[in-house]
Amino acid sequence: MLKVVAVHKPQITNKHRFVGFALIALSVYILSNIVDEWRSFQGATIAIYVVAIASVILLTGYSGQISLGHGALLAIGAYAAALTQIYFSAPIWICFIAAVLVTAFFGAILGAAAARLSGPYLAGTTLALAVGLPSIANQFSILGGEQGISFDAGWPPLSFGEAFTQYKWFFWITSLAALIAMWWVQNILRSRYGRAWRAVKSNDVAAELAGINIGRSKVLAFTLSAGLAGLAGALLATTLNNVSPSVFPLALSFSIATGAVLSGVNTLGGVIIGSVALVAIPEIATSVSDRWSGSDNLATLLPDFIVSALLILTVFLAPKGPIEKIRSRHAK
Amino acid sequence: MFQFVNTLLIGITAGSIYSLMAISIVLVWRSTRVVNFAAGGLALASSFVGASVLEKTGSFWIALPVAMVAGALFSAVVEFFFLRPLLKRSGEKSQEIFLPIIATLGLLGIIKAVLNFIYGDRIGSLPPPLSDKGFIVSGESIALSPLRILILGIVLVLMIVLTLIFQRTNLGLSLRAASFAPEISRLAGIRVDLIRTAGWAISGAAGATAGILQTTNGSGSVAPESFEFSLLLVFGFVAAVIGGIESLVGAVVGSLTLGIILAIILTYVGSSLVFFAAFIILILVLLLRPHGIIGVKGSRRA
Repeated sequence: MLKVVAVHKPQITNKHRFVGFALIALSVYILSNIVDEWRSFQGATIAIYVVAIASVILLTGYSGQISLGHGALLAIGAYAAALTQIYFSAPIWICFIAAVLVTAFFGAILGAAAARLSGPYLAGTTLALAVGLPSIANQFSILGGEQGISFDAGWPPLSFGEAFTQYKWFFWITSLAALIAMWWVQNILRSRYGRAWRAVKSNDVAAELAGINIGRSKVLAFTLSAGLAGLAGALLATTLNNVSPSVFPLALSFSIATGAVLSGVNTLGGVIIGSVALVAIPEIATSVSDRWSGSDNLATLLPDFIVSALLILTVFLAPKGPIEKIRSRHAK
Repeated sequence: MFQFVNTLLIGITAGSIYSLMAISIVLVWRSTRVVNFAAGGLALASSFVGASVLEKTGSFWIALPVAMVAGALFSAVVEFFFLRPLLKRSGEKSQEIFLPIIATLGLLGIIKAVLNFIYGDRIGSLPPPLSDKGFIVSGESIALSPLRILILGIVLVLMIVLTLIFQRTNLGLSLRAASFAPEISRLAGIRVDLIRTAGWAISGAAGATAGILQTTNGSGSVAPESFEFSLLLVFGFVAAVIGGIESLVGAVVGSLTLGIILAIILTYVGSSLVFFAAFIILILVLLLRPHGIIGVKGSRRA
C-alpha cells in the first residue's frame, strides 16, 4: 500500500491570526489596567504609530511606491475628523469613518498623479506635500490657523466607573481602532490586490503581461494607504484634543518612514517593533542622559541620535527588517 | 511694476541659491543613484566651519573657500565610509531607492545631533560681507543690493567653473561617462569608484556654498536646528526634481522657476501658501512632463 507522507509545514490560518489578535487585545486590556496615565498615553501613541506605519508598509513595502509625506495624509484625516465633529456634531466613530473616507479620496487623487511617477520624482512630490499641506491651514479660517481646531473624543462612559481615566479611554479607542485596521490590512495584503501589488513591485512588465492593470493597482494602493493614514491622523487628533499645523511637521513624516524601516518595510508583522521603538527611544535616551550627566543639551539630542543610528544600523544589518532577518537565520 | 521687479530680483537670488543645492543633489544622484538628504546636514556642517573661520580670520574671502573645501571633504568621507559599503550590501538594485533615502535621512539626523553636541546653543554667525541695503533708484530702495550682486556673481562663477569642468576636462568626461555607463567606463580604464567620490566632493562643495550664501542672504547665523537649512534642502530637492534630477541645466532652470514663482506668491498671495505652491508647481510640472523639465525617459543623460 502506498503511503503518502506529506511534509507538513505548519500553516498559519485565519484561526491562528484571530487568536493572535485576541491575545494582543487581551494584553492591551491588562496593560491598560496596570499602567498609569503617562504610560496609557504612550500606549495610545504606539497604537497610532502602528496604523501610520502599516499605511507606509502597505504603500512602500508592498506596492513599491515611496512616500515621504505621510504626515500630510495624517493631517487631512485629523482635519476631516475635527470638521465632521464641529459641523455635524457627529459621534466620534462617525468622525473616524469620515476621516478615512476623506483621506482615501485625497489619496485616490494623489495616487492618480503618483502612479505616473517613480523613484526620486515620487519622493520629491510626497516630500513637497508633507511640507506644503499642513501650512495651508493658516490660509483658511475654517481650519483655525496656527491655533488649530479642537477635536474632543469625550469622556469615557460613566458605566466604566469613576477611576477610568481619560488617557486610558484614549488607549482603548486607539488600540481598538488599530486592531481593526491591522486585521483589515493583513487580510487585504493576502487578497488578490495584495498579490497584484507585490507582482507589480517585483516585476511590472511581467505583472502587466499577467493581466494586472498596473496603474489601477498603484492608485488602489495609494487610496487604501491614505485611508489608513487618515485613521491614524484622526486617532492622533483624539489623543491631542487638537488639530493644528504644528502637529504635522516634516519630522512626523520622517518618523513614520523611519518607523517603517525599523519595522522592516516589506513585512507587516514587524510593525509593532518600529512603533514601540519610536515611542520608547526618547524615553530611554532621557533616562540615560539623566543618569550620566545633567546636561539638558545631551537630553535633547540623544533621542535623535539614537533613532538615526538605529536607522542606519537597520539599513546596514537588516535591510529587510528585523523579522525577515530572524526568519532567514532560522531557514538556514 | 516697481514691486514686480523687486519680487523678481528676490526670486532670482533665492532661486540661484537653491540651484547650488539642487546641483549638489543632482551630482550625487547622477554618480550614485542616491537621493542625498544628508546634503542639508553636510551644508550645515560646512557653514559652521565657514563661520568659525570667519570668526578667526575676519575675512569672508577666506571663509568661503575653506567651507567649500570642508564641504568637499565631508561629502567625500560620507561617500567613502558610508555610502560605498551601503550600496555594496544592497547590491546596487536600481529599483530600491527607499533604503538609501532613509539611510541618508539617518545620516542627516546624526550630523545634526553631532553639531548640536559640539555647538549646543551657540550659533555660528555669517554676517553679510557687503551691504545688504538696496540701491536707491529714483528715490526708492530696490531689492538689488551689493550683497545680492555678490551672491549672483558667486553662483554665476561657480556655474561657469562647473560647466568648464564637465565639458572641458578629463575629470568631467570621466564623471559623465561613469554616470552614463559605469561598466563600460570601468572597462575603458576609468576608476569609477574614485570618480564617484569626486562627484560627491564637487557636490559637497556646491552644497557648502549654498549653505553659506543662504545664511548670509537670510538671518546671518547658523544653528544646528536651522529652519533655513531645512528650506534649502527641501526646495533644492524639489527644484532638482522639477528640472529632471539628471540634468545640471535642469537643476538651474528648476531652481530659478521655483524661486521666482515662490517670490511672486509670497508678495502677491501670502506667506502661508508658499510651501503648498511649491508642491503645486512640482506636481503640475510632473504631470506635464513626468521626468522633469529636462529629464529624458528611460535613458540616462551623459
